[in-house]
Amino acid sequence: MIKIKTPKLKTLESIKLHLDALFTGAKEAIKPGTITIEYPRERRKLPDNFRGYILFSPERCKSCWQCSFVCPANAIKMELASNNRYYPSIDYAKCIFCHFCIDTCPVTALKPTKIHDVVYKDLEEMYTPTELMVKPPKIVREEEVTVEYVMDGDIILKKSKELDELFPEIEPHVEIKEHSVCIDPESCIACGICEHSCPVEAITRETIGQERHLRIDIEKCYGCGICVRSCPMHVLKLVRIREEKA
Amino acid sequence: MSNTSSDTAAVETLEWKVRIPKKRIKDKAWMDLKKRVIDTGLCSHCSACAFVCPVQGIISLPDRGIDFPDWEERCIDCEGCLRVCHRWEYTPLSDLGEYIELIAAKSKRFKGQDGAMVTEFMASALEMGIIDRAIFVGRDEEWRPKIYHIRSVEQLRDTRISGTKYSYASVLPELKEAIRVTKKGIGVVGTPCIVTGLRKIQKEFKIFKDKVKLVVGLFCMENFYYDQLRAYLEKKGVDMRKLVKMDITRGKFIATMPDSEISFPVKEMDEIVPHGCERCTDFTDVLADVSVGSVGSKVGYSTVVVRTEIGKEILDYIREKRYAEFSNVIPDVIDKLIKLKKKRIKNIPGEYLTVAYKKDTEK
Ligand SMILES: Cc1cc2nc3c(=O)[nH]c(=O)nc-3n(C[C@H](O)[C@H](O)[C@H](O)COP(=O)(O)OP(=O)(O)OC[C@H]3O[C@@H](n4cnc5c(N)ncnc54)[C@H](O)[C@@H]3O)c2cc1C
Repeated sequence: MIKIKTPKLKTLESIKLHLDALFTGAKEAIKPGTITIEYPRERRKLPDNFRGYILFSPERCKSCWQCSFVCPANAIKMELASNNRYYPSIDYAKCIFCHFCIDTCPVTALKPTKIHDVVYKDLEEMYTPTELMVKPPKIVREEEVTVEYVMDGDIILKKSKELDELFPEIEPHVEIKEHSVCIDPESCIACGICEHSCPVEAITRETIGQERHLRIDIEKCYGCGICVRSCPMHVLKLVRIREEKA
Repeated sequence: MSNTSSDTAAVETLEWKVRIPKKRIKDKAWMDLKKRVIDTGLCSHCSACAFVCPVQGIISLPDRGIDFPDWEERCIDCEGCLRVCHRWEYTPLSDLGEYIELIAAKSKRFKGQDGAMVTEFMASALEMGIIDRAIFVGRDEEWRPKIYHIRSVEQLRDTRISGTKYSYASVLPELKEAIRVTKKGIGVVGTPCIVTGLRKIQKEFKIFKDKVKLVVGLFCMENFYYDQLRAYLEKKGVDMRKLVKMDITRGKFIATMPDSEISFPVKEMDEIVPHGCERCTDFTDVLADVSVGSVGSKVGYSTVVVRTEIGKEILDYIREKRYAEFSNVIPDVIDKLIKLKKKRIKNIPGEYLTVAYKKDTEK
């Protein structure tokens, strides 16, 4: 066990510390300095990379599932939408706000916000289906003032009437272009499940005599990876499109 | 997307060809298989078709065999089942087959049906790092076969996992999952039908050739459908929950319970021997790396037929580590059963045998 000893101070040091304490006490009595923000009337200015509520743009999403794969809390589920595509949904009861999903999205379909104060009545409500991820959640806001903490030896509260933007613009990610390839043709059944699963008809299968010819058209393939996941023999894989030599 | 098994420089191709068998009828592939193999009683119940079926429509049932109930809607006519079925084109195997060493042995580490050498070989292969996973046929409390994925030597001390279950087990359908997660390779234990089915799968699909590293085969006269065996044994007064061992030796089926034993001649069970077994001639599991049986060695020992280099390597390791005691084999007894099983060739109508087989026997 470690015992914490009272520090041994010289008399002069001790007197100085006592005087400091008395001075601080007197100062607080005359002009109190609080560092508490008066939420919800005041809004704290948050950094642009603050990790809050996540928004989703379905028109950008290519259903690659990367967000659901990367999510360390298993909070993202891919749901089948009416257009037969899979889109993410987030369970905020599980989400740990790491924003790995946003970072990993190759097409910037997921975006961060500075919203951190959504209220839910129960756990079920925290499950947020795709439809609800498209727009920010409804929050009745009363803020009039933005408060910013400035560190300058001491903490200084800088207040301004201008409200901080809740939806920071993020730079669009450089899209990683991928396409499907067969990595083990000698283990292929040639069952054609890939052909049927492909949303853009990039995979074709043709039977010629006692042979089946399979082909992936990389002009059409946009790397959604659905064939990779549906292949029963796991012979397909996504690879990055090789950089064109300059 | 990262691929964990990218240890070998994988080919990446955008165009490839796959050979498919020539169907005998115009209907979907499943119907071809059903008409030629299942309805004719040729099916060995190895479940290779259930393994390969990409829509997972083919199932093996505990009471009658292989079926694809909703095939009309679900069969996608891929012909995978025809490719892996070893009886759709049947080349019956028999005799003792090729081997490097024939010896009787008894494991000092494990308890099994006989000398627990099946368990010992797999345990040693795990220890040596040849495989990191083995598929075993264990059982539930009523002796229903249950597949176990063994990953450590310790798991093999469970006596429900070693020992013979006289019922068909769906070993091959487990391969797909095992192959995905293995790093070093997998080991498989099976009866001659399972092993022959597995070898066919390996021939057709390369990944299984690469990743299945050790195949331990069992000697086998016949197997049973679980439901039929159970009904039969219960009629004889056996309580499946109390059963501690079942065995067939010297023409007798012996069911051992903690305080009693029920035995009767196996001949009596002829009525429940599946047709597929009546049409099988392979007693010693000639395609395995190592075959293990009970006949041919004294009580408590297993007869071990080491056929391939990998099998020999493991046997040498067992010797070096002194994991087993060894003894001599009595080949005459094995020979008797080989001949007995070979006679079943007469149960296979000539039109179902491959040309290759016919040519071979004419010589
Ligand atoms: C259906 C069947 C019929 C047999 N008939 C004969 C016979 O006629 N003559 C003969 O000499 N030997 C026969 N055997 C083999 C014998 O019963 C022993 O399995 C063998 O001697 C190995 O004994 P062991 O102690 O070395 O094996 P153990 O170390 O006890 O291991 C037994 C292994 O068998 C596997 N196994 C058990 N049941 C099944 C099953 N239903 N399907 C696939 N694998 C299974 C288990 O996974 C286990 O790995 C038969 C085995 C089976 C399964």
